[in-house]
Amino acid sequence: MIVKDVVCPFCGCLCDDIEVEVEGNRVVSVGNACELGTTKLAGEKRMKNPILRDGNEWKDITYDEAIRYAADMLLSAERPLLYGWSGTHGEAQCVGVHMAELVRGVIDNTSSVCHGPSILAIQEVGHPGCTLGVVKNRADLVIYWGSNPIDAHPRHLSRYTRYADGFFLENAFRDRKVVVVDIRRTETANIADEFVQIKPGGDYAVLSALRAIVRGKTETIPRTVAGVTREQLVRVVDLCKEAKFGAVYFGLGLTMTQGKYKNIRNAIELVSELNRHTKFTISAMRGHYNVYGSNEVNTWMTGYPFGIDFSRGIAFYNPGETTAVDILARKECDAALIVGSDPAAHFPRRCLEHLADIPVVQLDPYPNATTAFCNVQIPVAVTGIDAEGTAYRMDGVPIRTRKVLSTDYPSDAEVLSRMYALMQEGREG
Amino acid sequence: MSELLIKNACVIDPLRGINAETMDIAILDGKIVEDVSGAAEVIDARGALTLPGGIDSHTHICGTKVNFGRYMSPEDMRAGRTPRRGPMHSTSGYSVPTTYGNSYRYSAMGYTTLLEGAMAPLEARHTHEEFTYTPLQDTMANALFDGNWGILEAIRDGDTKRVAAIIAWTLRAVKGFAVKLTNPGGTEAWQWGKNVSCIRDPVPYFEVTPAEIIRSVVEANELLHLPHSVHLHCNNLGTPGNYTCTLGSLGLIPDLNPKRQTLYATHVQFHAYGGSGWKDFCSKSEPIARLVNMRPQIVIDMGQVMFGRTTTMTADGPMEFNLYRLHHDKWSNHDVELETGSGIIPVIYRRKNLVNSIMWAIGLELALLTKNPWQCLLTTDNPNGAPFVRYPEIIALLMSKRYRDAEFATIHPDTGSRVPLPAIERELDWYEIAVMTRAGQAKALGIQDLGKGHLGPGAEADVAIYPIRIDEVDPSVDYQKVIEAFGRTEYTIKRGRVVSRRGDCLVDGSNATFWVRPKVSDDYDMGKDPDFIEKFDRYYTVRMRNYPVQEEYLNRNRCIETEAEI
Amino acid sequence: MTYLMVTGRTVNQGVTVENKTSAEYAEETSTCFMHEFDMLELGLDDGDAIQVTGPCGEVVMRAVASAEVEMGTVFVPYGPYANHIIDADTHSTGMPDFKSHEVEIEPTDEEPKTVHKLMEDLGGLAYDR
Repeated sequence: MIVKDVVCPFCGCLCDDIEVEVEGNRVVSVGNACELGTTKLAGEKRMKNPILRDGNEWKDITYDEAIRYAADMLLSAERPLLYGWSGTHGEAQCVGVHMAELVRGVIDNTSSVCHGPSILAIQEVGHPGCTLGVVKNRADLVIYWGSNPIDAHPRHLSRYTRYADGFFLENAFRDRKVVVVDIRRTETANIADEFVQIKPGGDYAVLSALRAIVRGKTETIPRTVAGVTREQLVRVVDLCKEAKFGAVYFGLGLTMTQGKYKNIRNAIELVSELNRHTKFTISAMRGHYNVYGSNEVNTWMTGYPFGIDFSRGIAFYNPGETTAVDILARKECDAALIVGSDPAAHFPRRCLEHLADIPVVQLDPYPNATTAFCNVQIPVAVTGIDAEGTAYRMDGVPIRTRKVLSTDYPSDAEVLSRMYALMQEGREG
Repeated sequence: MSELLIKNACVIDPLRGINAETMDIAILDGKIVEDVSGAAEVIDARGALTLPGGIDSHTHICGTKVNFGRYMSPEDMRAGRTPRRGPMHSTSGYSVPTTYGNSYRYSAMGYTTLLEGAMAPLEARHTHEEFTYTPLQDTMANALFDGNWGILEAIRDGDTKRVAAIIAWTLRAVKGFAVKLTNPGGTEAWQWGKNVSCIRDPVPYFEVTPAEIIRSVVEANELLHLPHSVHLHCNNLGTPGNYTCTLGSLGLIPDLNPKRQTLYATHVQFHAYGGSGWKDFCSKSEPIARLVNMRPQIVIDMGQVMFGRTTTMTADGPMEFNLYRLHHDKWSNHDVELETGSGIIPVIYRRKNLVNSIMWAIGLELALLTKNPWQCLLTTDNPNGAPFVRYPEIIALLMSKRYRDAEFATIHPDTGSRVPLPAIERELDWYEIAVMTRAGQAKALGIQDLGKGHLGPGAEADVAIYPIRIDEVDPSVDYQKVIEAFGRTEYTIKRGRVVSRRGDCLVDGSNATFWVRPKVSDDYDMGKDPDFIEKFDRYYTVRMRNYPVQEEYLNRNRCIETEAEI
Repeated sequence: MTYLMVTGRTVNQGVTVENKTSAEYAEETSTCFMHEFDMLELGLDDGDAIQVTGPCGEVVMRAVASAEVEMGTVFVPYGPYANHIIDADTHSTGMPDFKSHEVEIEPTDEEPKTVHKLMEDLGGLAYDR
């Protein structure tokens, strides 16, 4: 049976035109998706049942036992950390917030090690952006800065930018110009009309230089800035000013390098400046398919997009203090619930050393790096395959992921709801 | 079966012409009834002012743009924080509170029904998710159509029926309640960085004018027999001299509906400016009110500005960009493909600022100069003019000349030469306030027949008991008491349950979403229209099958089916 | 020799990210893409093992030549190998220096460890079914 209009649960592109062929209870083929989506949708090797670490062995346990373990762990912790959230549906994220609020823990999501700095910048200067379809239909200039979509968002170019059909563009491929700015000549750089190579750590200076040129102060720019010639800088500004609609997409090349959120702030201010001359937007290339969703849910429920500490009873936000890497590195949390992410693979070593010392429960369909640090892992259904729920695309558009087959695995929302009910009983009793 | 009896309530129920009669209100299973048994729970109102639950006909509380406002403003979040307590979740926020914050604070003020002023259809799912977390009020949303490509093309082709068909398909798909136009044509122009300067200025590429958009969409709305009229945010918001544009827009509207207005013009304060620039900026509330007085087919709401910090957020992208250039603070923008846009900037309205002082006066003037309270409703375009928690102060200003004068003495000294406010003696009475904060909204939104906005048998048991005895208080003098009373109910009752008691919310809430489903003939079903389908799949970035808001997002809901004329 | 280590996503890392116990994931995330001249200086051939030392430890990876990196910079796909030597200090931003660590690289006779072993070194217990 072929299921159409399936929503891919991998990256922030949240492509919803995937076709999946299902036979029995398995996905047998995937059409339209990129390599990343295809592999995910056809995923195998799921964990069969919940497991419990017993000394140096792993035991199989029931869902009830696993959920009870997690509830007890969170209730008896003084400062539990509830982390992850990007790899699951919104309905589960909402329960997570309630749980953190109940046990006065810290709830953080993968933004803190991804586009958290972008959010910090937005909180300083705002975010002039748009949905992806606006870019697809109008942009005649697209700038990828510190982002390599061919590797991380493979269909971004074909669905939204370089190769996409546009209502206002007769011949999109010819009429659109693509500029790529990066420290290395990535695959994406190879398809650019203009490649700007920056020395590592030089983004901030280059952005400042571009802003100066936009304001007519070219004479203040030295001959090269962070390895980029003044000629090239002027050329880029001319491209920007001549465009009818420019769109900047930036990635971890800006959030993770020296300067972190200051880099993005500078980029946003450049775009706000360009809006005085022509139409320009800027947006973040969100990595996970529902990381933006965890920001949205956290915000409407607590007021803050990530790194929320309930230990005072109110929602308290202070990135650098209340974010997961810092909490783990300072050994502040005494229990951790990990949902829809894999911190052991993506966090610095010192964080893992602490995870090894505290009780950890993880909800994940597959054995992953964090499994090694778990006391209990609870396999759940995969959102987009055997569980459905809301996901927010990188541009904020919410799409409901589809269930293409049914399995016995409970969804994240189901498991968390059961856990939360036990926790509420525990608190009242 | 649950029964409740409110005894000794001093009821003002304008939709039933009741003006300060002391009576009992009987409630059975969430509805008002003639009477209940002796087993009923009893609340003794002790002569307190008792009104139908408050209805806000234009507020920004849920959705993409609102959430943008939240997450870009952690400083606003810090300005209003409460911890989890009893059934109440923690809340944050002052001008853009979290959803629980909005719900609890509105409930403390007696509000039981809210209309979200702007929802982009593509992102409707987000609005509905936030509705679920605004649990103590029934909710409904205005769906934005001002930059809708399908509609712009149909208007260009002179095909009003097709305009109606697209509206019908979209409202059904996204579970919207009403038709909203924000800066019609301007939001599409803004996707090229442009705007429209008046109602005759054509939209780039589509070549239709705002006047044509307004006229055509108003006609289409009536063909669909929707409960609410078109809801319009006029072009040129905030621009000195824009009152002519407002008069021009209102002047386009025929009288097409016997039961209610044909156009609801929102936050008209922002559209009532004279002068040719900031230097000679002045109030033009008088000509606007004059026109409204002559045209029963128009209803407006105030859009009152109050001094202090707030966040402006509207679908009017170009306006927000211009505001950003004035304020030099942070600015967010979010254009929505094929549909509309939005912009958000934080602002401070200052007494020392002459323009802000004039704006403050204009909102009050509109309410005082509009003769019929059913035609001018109380709002601040929350949070654009001020956060809704300031409503009680506005009520007091409208009821007390003394209070107005006292406030006037604190604002910019030159204001008096630019506005007529000081010369206006009128003081609104309790009945008129009841109209402007609930009965008028129910009528304008077309929901009185659904049991909203009144306390007659069969109505929803949404009741607000305010801690004030109107026979003991002269609002003209004791305006402080008015402010306190309207700031916090003794009881807020929703569907027969006490949901708020002296500011504390007591239950988790189980709200309903109101939406419309106009029934059209097969010929006008856009779901079967090859041109609509083809353009949808080519130019949107979401598949047509994935676009509609699924049933899962609705929880309890009231679907209003209408028989369209197409 | 000192190099700037930049970590980031690659398609191969992404394709195996839901299957972290696989050999393919280990291989991709323990690959250190280097400029061929830098490899020449260190006497490395494609696939040779290297010891990479960062501010908080060392890890064994494999060097592979890439035309994409500049001299003096190395690129390692996101994952447990790179993170084994990345410091947890976020400079109060929540974000570690994933793209700005200076590392020392030299050839080694050791083999890269498996992901399981890396986790166990830090106190974990591998799950192997």
